[in-house]
Amino acid sequence: MLSKSAAKAFFLGGTALTSAVFLSLTWDTFQQIPARTNAAALTDSVKRGKHVWEDNNCMGCHTLFGEGAYYAPELTKVYERRGPVFMRALLKDPAAMYPGQRQMTNYHFTDEQITDLIAFFEWSGKVDLNGFPAKPTLGAPAQHEATPVSVAERPLVFSQLCLTCHALGGVGGTVGPKLDGVGTRLDAAYLERWLNDPLSVKPDSKMPKLPLDATQVTELVTFLSAQKTQEVAQ
Amino acid sequence: MKFQSQKVAWGFFATCMLLLSLQVIYGFIMAFAHAGYDGLHQWIPFNTARATHTNLLVMWLLAGFMGAAYWIIPDECDRELAWPKLAWVQLIAFVVTGVTAVIGFHFNWWEGRKFLEIPRPLDFLVVIDVLLFIANIGWTVWKSPKKSTTSMVLFFGLLAAALLYLPGMIPTDNQTVDSYWRWWVVHLWVEGVWELIMGAILSYLLIKLTGVDREIIEKWLYVIVGFTFLSGILGTGHHYYYIGTPKYWLMVGGVFSALEPLAFLGMAIYAFQMAKKGGRAHPNKVALLWTLGCAFMSFVGAGFLGFAHTLPSVNMYTHGTLVTAMHGHMAFWGAYAMLVLAIIAYAMPLMTGRKVYEKATAGFAFWTSNVGMTAMTLAFAVAGVTQVVLERRAGMDFLTVQKEIEVHFWGLILAACLFTLGITAFVFDFIRYGLPKAPLQPSSGGEPVEPPAAVLPSAVAVARS
Repeated sequence: MLSKSAAKAFFLGGTALTSAVFLSLTWDTFQQIPARTNAAALTDSVKRGKHVWEDNNCMGCHTLFGEGAYYAPELTKVYERRGPVFMRALLKDPAAMYPGQRQMTNYHFTDEQITDLIAFFEWSGKVDLNGFPAKPTLGAPAQHEATPVSVAERPLVFSQLCLTCHALGGVGGTVGPKLDGVGTRLDAAYLERWLNDPLSVKPDSKMPKLPLDATQVTELVTFLSAQKTQEVAQ
Repeated sequence: MKFQSQKVAWGFFATCMLLLSLQVIYGFIMAFAHAGYDGLHQWIPFNTARATHTNLLVMWLLAGFMGAAYWIIPDECDRELAWPKLAWVQLIAFVVTGVTAVIGFHFNWWEGRKFLEIPRPLDFLVVIDVLLFIANIGWTVWKSPKKSTTSMVLFFGLLAAALLYLPGMIPTDNQTVDSYWRWWVVHLWVEGVWELIMGAILSYLLIKLTGVDREIIEKWLYVIVGFTFLSGILGTGHHYYYIGTPKYWLMVGGVFSALEPLAFLGMAIYAFQMAKKGGRAHPNKVALLWTLGCAFMSFVGAGFLGFAHTLPSVNMYTHGTLVTAMHGHMAFWGAYAMLVLAIIAYAMPLMTGRKVYEKATAGFAFWTSNVGMTAMTLAFAVAGVTQVVLERRAGMDFLTVQKEIEVHFWGLILAACLFTLGITAFVFDFIRYGLPKAPLQPSSGGEPVEPPAAVLPSAVAVARS
């Protein structure tokens, strides 16, 4: 039968052994972190961005590297997903970019703070996270064959900005109406006026005036006008 | 109560009741926000409610551990606390620091690091405060000729917890490094040294409540904490899967954290075996109920539900979703909240001489809060799994999914009402116990006044009080 002193030895021995292994692995991890996290790219701006991230407890709603709270989106790949134009606009005035949705506090960031935060997200998006976050495996809910969406001609700004609120082919947000077949419903001139300033066309619209330059507007109008197919029956 | 200085535990326990009540209120604020009603957003945005909710939890659990130590150590060491007045000073300082931090959270004053949101200047106050506590406990143990295993495990658990707070203060510019050290505090606390504290407090309660021989209980205490550290230390790796650390952590963390439930299972089997073996009819049945409940629910919450999403292939999809909240709620409730409530339920009758445990509310508090928490966990589970499937597996938009799962938060709120009813009954009973009385055999200074506790059955102690 196990004696008390044997039990004590098991406790002390096991603890010493696993602690030693843990400390060695920690040492090795720290050798690898600079390369894995691209530490050379930790500019002053990224460092300041991390402080902005912490000073406002962004982790109290969002997750980064999957860590934080579950009230607001995971931000590890936000730079890739939304891009700097959207991020800047959102950080300036969160409520305008997600009208009538779950609220984010307006922290009244300065332009420099926003630049730093964006730099921080750009850096964190490139850290080697062993494949996290995984790509959805069940397939996007509706890559409808009926919807002729050519990825090649789809402007980046469409994926980063428009899909935040609108959906096309079943992919995107549900804040605004779906864009399937929008080219049939609306003509190019209307789309151009709309994109330049939604509120001048429809004063009670919830869609904000987006920070788009003339080229981007033209690209979007061309792309949206090409969405001729009728919405796929659900 | 044998010693005058054990009274200070009452102050810590009262603090627990207050902070726990506040914690529940902030929980409701978040549940309503998730259900789509964030009317308080302007004054208490979600991140404030979240930081307050979790930090109040940590604070009241620490207050509970300190109270438990101030109660147990004099009893185990058979002498008064080294510096009873310092214990009161330390309590007040602890509360002031904590309250300042929580108020700060409402004015955007914090460090946005999950669970360690307390602003840096206050971190130093926490360290000083805990050092005072450790010194007080340590000196009491040191001066006593009796160094029981239970008191030593408790002391070293508390000391290690204090030391492990320090890695969280290492400054870094790299988010990965930041996270790495943060888990040294958070993981090595809750899945490491806090389990030492838990094991020691459970042992103390089992010795007192079941009457099983101390040597047997303490032997198994070593085995349990041995398993805890064997699995828990390298189990830290389950936080190092996806934060920018090397890939071998998937293997190390996966294997060792999968073993963590064994420690909790061992703890549960041990508690139930001892209770069965003891066969002593201790009058305070509710305290035994909380003790066994703690052992059981910690296995379900921390062990079983933790295992449910600790394997890397599962965690890839559940990491950073409400599935974590599901596990977190029952784990903290089972392992630590119930532990503190157990020691309060045990100590209060001895401290005050009243037998509120005979009232119907005592059992009601236990069952209602546990049924409520189980239902809350289920609500989180449904919301979490739905989120994982829709957002992580099917690729739906975050906010769209959040709207889909709003309904489960109404389920959560209903369950939380039940839970709150139970907690209210517990707090009500605590108030009914009233203030502590002087011990029956007044002691003077640090001199032991009774025979060693080992030969003093607690039934006698209860009868005397």
